[in-house]
Amino acid sequence: MVKVRSPQDLGAGLLFLLIGVSGFVFGRDLTFGSARDMGPGYFPYLISGLIVIIGLITAARALAIDGPPIERVHFRPVIMLMLALAAFGFLIAPAGAVIASMSLVILAAYARRNVNPIETIIFAIGVSAFVVTIFVYALGQPMPVWWGD
Amino acid sequence: MEIIDHLATGFMAAASLQNLFFCLIGVVLGTLIGVLPGIGPIPALAILLPITFGLNPLSSLIMLAGIYYGAQYGGSTTSILVNMPGEASSVVTCIDGHQMARRGRAGSALAIAALGSFFAGCVGTVFIAAFGPPLSAIAQQFNSPDYFALMLLGLVMAVVLAHGSVLKAVAMVLIGLLLGLVGTDVNTGLTRYTFGISGLWEGIDFLPLVLGLFGIVEVIRNLENPPGERQAISTRLRDLWPTKQEFREAWPAVLRGTGLGSILGILPGGGAVLASFASYTLEKKISRNPRKFGHGAVEGVAGPESANNSAAQTSFIPLLTLGIPSNPIMAIMMGAMIIQGIQPGAAVMTARPELFWGMVASMWIGNLMLVVINLPLLGIWVKLLSVPYRLLYPAILLFCAIGVYSTSTEPFMMVLMIVFSIFGYILLKFGCEPAPLVLGFILGPLMEENLRRSLVMSRGDPTIFLERPISAGLLIATLLMIGMIIFPQFRKTREVAFQEE
Repeated sequence: MVKVRSPQDLGAGLLFLLIGVSGFVFGRDLTFGSARDMGPGYFPYLISGLIVIIGLITAARALAIDGPPIERVHFRPVIMLMLALAAFGFLIAPAGAVIASMSLVILAAYARRNVNPIETIIFAIGVSAFVVTIFVYALGQPMPVWWGD
Repeated sequence: MEIIDHLATGFMAAASLQNLFFCLIGVVLGTLIGVLPGIGPIPALAILLPITFGLNPLSSLIMLAGIYYGAQYGGSTTSILVNMPGEASSVVTCIDGHQMARRGRAGSALAIAALGSFFAGCVGTVFIAAFGPPLSAIAQQFNSPDYFALMLLGLVMAVVLAHGSVLKAVAMVLIGLLLGLVGTDVNTGLTRYTFGISGLWEGIDFLPLVLGLFGIVEVIRNLENPPGERQAISTRLRDLWPTKQEFREAWPAVLRGTGLGSILGILPGGGAVLASFASYTLEKKISRNPRKFGHGAVEGVAGPESANNSAAQTSFIPLLTLGIPSNPIMAIMMGAMIIQGIQPGAAVMTARPELFWGMVASMWIGNLMLVVINLPLLGIWVKLLSVPYRLLYPAILLFCAIGVYSTSTEPFMMVLMIVFSIFGYILLKFGCEPAPLVLGFILGPLMEENLRRSLVMSRGDPTIFLERPISAGLLIATLLMIGMIIFPQFRKTREVAFQEE
């Protein structure tokens, strides 16, 4: 049984391997060409190959040399922040900057525990008013303000 | 004197009311973001990048440069008052700066940092004005093999000088290179790695990438490990002036730091971080009383602060003359220039002198503004530290989202930013520092193109890189650098240098 001595390095090594191999797999239709006449696949294959090699070394070292453990993953902030960004991205065109900004701020607030809903809503209203004033009226950025604009 | 003519052109361009205004806004906003603990120049530049896009090229570059200096200066303020470095280059300022603050010399530490930075900024400006033209004359001699070798050296240096594991830094550079290749291949018109998504045909957009990797990951990191009690040491304005004794100790360190920083800034891979670490080590080495370092040594603030500011300025030289960014921050500046339709390089200086010299002049103006504005506004910056993070982070997130939306209304850009945020978070968990990735990302297409051209020139013979004296010299330097990484003794000094905390 092999013992993992450095979980962080093992993770990084496997991630590099995955990326390097993807470089080959998703670039398999690109022609390699030759040094004299580099095809579109020449440089990508070169880089992907190097990434695979580094990935292998990093993963192998993880079994030999002690390293730090992987810190606990907190899903709540990651998921809430990504939801907040997605909501903004898909709401801004149909619903306008005010609604999109408010949804982002409110969703983002729930990335923490013990949220004060009233403070959050007041803050969201304030921030979206600020955003509209600065970006739409002061900087003149083309951005729909309200539903159907 | 030609140099004076050039600077005059620059000051004429930079001193227009509009440009002064944007310089001021940049410096203030940069400081504002930089003061926030945990936000260094890279996230600050990324977050504020979008607001400069609507401006004309000169104004937007002036504002970006202002943001950069502002953020760096703001970081020092936080280091001294709260002992919480905003980013790597103010880590060393924390050591002695905060000790000075605890002994009631906060005002003096801040004033020394500000005046040292200003002096270094002045020297840096003259340095660029003096070395810019000759370097760009050399750059005219550069051919594809030389450019390729130079980029290789820059990437290797960036790896040597990056924090943490060398191996992971190499991987970050390579992944950046690969990501930079996504999009349409200029030579054949074929699309690469686009997965049939039309939003990727012109390559991965720069803004979602940097905002995701730096801006948003930073927010997640702070939410996971909430910054501790932010008890700022209060300071009164009348305490700002350093004593005679402190002055006497500070000025030689300022001179040494400025000189060291100016030289280290020009080197490929060099920049503010390296300069401040090197200066601290130097001060400690030559001090007659090294034991006072770590207990509030004035030189420990004056040297590194001057060094990082002069290096911040001179690191613009390779970008502006050779068109090659020497560190991740310059990569972001280059990304911004490309978005503005300017291809950085020797041609900028001859074709658009007002742009080049205007930017150089604005650096000096920006540094002056920092001193004039920041010391009196200190109270406001300190107050900013008491804004609770629960209100701060949704606003930062919203700023990132609006930034991406204002450059492209495609919802796909938001998806891209989410993808890079998650990728950045995974890198964080695996202990990979993403800064070298940006450098690779910017250099990817350039390296491929120059490699292709070199090999076409030589009909596929790789010895072309050794036949040309410039590229051969650069390759030898690259090999020496790689040798230094492998050579265990140097590795140890590198580890020691970065563990000065």
